[in-house]
Amino acid sequence: MLSFVCRLFAALSVSLALSLPAYALETLRVLAWPGYADSDLVKVFEKRFDVHVEVSFINSDDVLREKISTNHGGDFDVFAANTAEMRHYISRNLIVPLQLSNIPNTAHQLPRFRDLQAIPGITRKGQVFAIPYTFSEMGLIYDRKQFRKAPTSMAAMWDSRYKGRVLAFDDSSHNFSIASMLLGGSPFQIEDGQFNRVAEHLVELRRNVLTFYTLPEESVRLFRKHSAALLFANYGSQQLKLLRDAGADVGYVIPREGALAWLDCWAITRGVKNQRLAESWINYTLEASVSGELTRRQGLANTIEASPLAGNSDKIIWLKPVENAQRRKVLWSHIISGDLPEKFLAP
Amino acid sequence: MRFPDLMKLGISFKLGILLATFGILATSLSGYYFYTSSRDMLTSAAERDLLTATQVVGRNMKIIIDVIAEDAQLLAAIPLASNVFSSADELTAERDKKLLADTFTAMLSAHPEYFQIRLISTSQHGLELVRVDRNGKRMTRVLAGNLQEKAHYPYVFDTFRLARGDIYLSDISINHEKGAHSGLNKPTVTVSTPVIARNGKRLGLIVINIDLNGLSKILKGNLPSSYQLYLSNQWGDFLIHPDDTQTFGFDQGKRILIQDSFEPVSALVQGKGMNVVMNIDEGPQKQAGHVAAFVRLPFGDTIEKRFVILGLAQPLENITRETSRLSFDTIKIILAFSGLALILSALVSRIVTGPLNAMVRAINRFSKERVISTLPLNRNDEFGLLSRSFHDMQTEIMAHLSELNESRKALDHLARHDTLTGLPNRRMFFDRLEHAIATSRRSGKKLAVLFVDMDSFKEINDTFGHAVGDRVLINVAILLKSAMREADTVARLGGDEFVILLDTIDDPRHVKTIVLKLHDLFQNTMQIDGRDLQVHASIGVAIFPRDGKDADELMQYSDQAMYNSKKVGGNTSSFKAFVPEE
Repeated sequence: MLSFVCRLFAALSVSLALSLPAYALETLRVLAWPGYADSDLVKVFEKRFDVHVEVSFINSDDVLREKISTNHGGDFDVFAANTAEMRHYISRNLIVPLQLSNIPNTAHQLPRFRDLQAIPGITRKGQVFAIPYTFSEMGLIYDRKQFRKAPTSMAAMWDSRYKGRVLAFDDSSHNFSIASMLLGGSPFQIEDGQFNRVAEHLVELRRNVLTFYTLPEESVRLFRKHSAALLFANYGSQQLKLLRDAGADVGYVIPREGALAWLDCWAITRGVKNQRLAESWINYTLEASVSGELTRRQGLANTIEASPLAGNSDKIIWLKPVENAQRRKVLWSHIISGDLPEKFLAP
Repeated sequence: MRFPDLMKLGISFKLGILLATFGILATSLSGYYFYTSSRDMLTSAAERDLLTATQVVGRNMKIIIDVIAEDAQLLAAIPLASNVFSSADELTAERDKKLLADTFTAMLSAHPEYFQIRLISTSQHGLELVRVDRNGKRMTRVLAGNLQEKAHYPYVFDTFRLARGDIYLSDISINHEKGAHSGLNKPTVTVSTPVIARNGKRLGLIVINIDLNGLSKILKGNLPSSYQLYLSNQWGDFLIHPDDTQTFGFDQGKRILIQDSFEPVSALVQGKGMNVVMNIDEGPQKQAGHVAAFVRLPFGDTIEKRFVILGLAQPLENITRETSRLSFDTIKIILAFSGLALILSALVSRIVTGPLNAMVRAINRFSKERVISTLPLNRNDEFGLLSRSFHDMQTEIMAHLSELNESRKALDHLARHDTLTGLPNRRMFFDRLEHAIATSRRSGKKLAVLFVDMDSFKEINDTFGHAVGDRVLINVAILLKSAMREADTVARLGGDEFVILLDTIDDPRHVKTIVLKLHDLFQNTMQIDGRDLQVHASIGVAIFPRDGKDADELMQYSDQAMYNSKKVGGNTSSFKAFVPEE
């Protein structure tokens, strides 16, 4: 009996040894958002470069910051984050400049994404720290029956003709950016003296809207139930699709002030083991087929094909860190709660 | 005795084991079947009970909300609520508002699950006119300046559209409305109803904010503490969960969905079916080892088909405790019945082997003692048949045996007697002679042997034939016998030779008397086939111990003496040596 067990064990060991490769494969550690690195696409990369790819997923910016900060970026090689977050990683020296010659597919990107200096937060001192991968802009969705002509400005949300039929988004940062832009200021840098004016403008928005929504499904429900005319599309194309699927006759427009947009970019950590391999990964995701799958599967715009929603000439404002997120938050909580301006605005 | 003992043990033991095994097996199998079916029944009954409990909790929730709705309707209907909008001057308005605030305060005090009661105007962007908040243990009336515009909240713009007495129920959410005192950042649901003037003009609305935690406390109040209460909105976001961190995920930008924890609930989320019951046997999740029931409850506006999903989970232990008690009972029953089966099988094997053993005893007795024992011949079963067959066999064997005995006796007689005359033959005579010699040696008494031979028997045979010769021999035998005592032995040695043993002679002269008597008898003619035949005999006598010391010598000497008689012409007698005096 014992001898049988021994023989079995020996046979198992031999077969195990045979099944293992002669040498350990190099591993690329990818940290990404769900949908950015589907296993079938990863397999193609593994085969082509004869490496092993280990994909981890995150679902919030906070978790992403935490994971990259641990071990000073030593736990991952390459990750994706939006432009507003990149400043954090660059200033803390957590990511390294990229060798663009190793990422030749950037040449096929839309012009908007080729001008890297024009995209805030991803370059510093002439060095490129991140490459755009996917984006979503926040345009306006309007009811074609109530608008003979598509609205051209965000100001339509303040238009008293649509009082009670406007759906805005419940978010301090974006709302302050939009209001500031409409008042002629910078979206991300509101001057101290301007804050009261912007806040008052948002109280006016509050008095004109039907409500401020939070979830995409909620916005669709409200839009249909209350025959809304205008919707600030925080979720972009995803929301447009939901509304159209629900049978709404809606149009989508990028206002002339420009649409705020988040733009997720690939960056390489300081702890990268093989930068060349990590850059090959970035290059691979920018292949038309791989980027195309992202759009097909996730409904997110890619940087290779022109988006059917946002034309090349449309103004897209990539998100940047704001001057004082906390201040916007406190003021917004007064506004959304219905406080009278004279109560919370210092004279 | 060993063999029957062993056999007795063998049959009853084997039969007993067989019956006991069968009994125990049957009991165990039916016990196991009983256990599994009962366990399934218990489990499904527990699931049914849990579903019923969930439905009852759902009904309770509806009743509680209905009662709150009645409170809102009552507040909207009292003239004071309408008066606030039509007060003649500022002072009266303030007085009316104060009275209404006092009413709100009283109602808040009576209902600890109420956070806030408000009167909101349709105009002025939904400005609050009268508002009383729960503020810890106190009730705080919020005064002008701190009152807020609420028209952009669904509970306001949706209620504005309702008719008199209609109720709006908001989605359940975290209340982030600044300045809400105790209700701030707490899970809340609002119940509201419009305030409509006599002329039909919409003036405003009454809103009651409910503390969801207070509500869940009431719902949980009647449930055993081991029950877990779950509530989700129609998209599946947890609103009530035993772990508070799992609720209102959407409020922090993430979705913690009921269908991720309880997969089957996704059917309810998709609007399929009204309830699901599930048994979460294993898995890494916290809900493992629970039975859970979920029901879909209409919530608020029926046109919009809004609903919530209410669920109860109960640890499987509560049910398995029942089933383990059941299994214990089942084992007890199995053991008891197995014991019974053992006793019964022992009894039955005894009943069956009892008659067998009796039969074995009867056979033994018969083979040893040839005695037919009493057997249960009258039984109507197989034992009766066996007993009867055995009895018949015994009787037949006995008949055969006695027949055999008879023929053996006949053979024996034949071996020791002469067939013609029926007298003892030479062999028997020698036996008796030797026996008599032995007796004489002990007693010291004498005995005599008389050798008798027919004279001229050959001539009779030749003249009249063997048949006549045989008749002569028979007559001689009769003659010799008639002349002797009972104790004496007359034997035929063969041919015409006879021999006589005179046992125990007290007086030797007596021998002479007998010899002479014989001689006389032989002088008579014999009547054979109508013929008179003269048959004479020569007699020789030898006496023990005088003439010979053993049987052979006695025979020899008596024979010689007989020849001596023949020599002198026959029809006389001679003594070996001694001629007794006359």
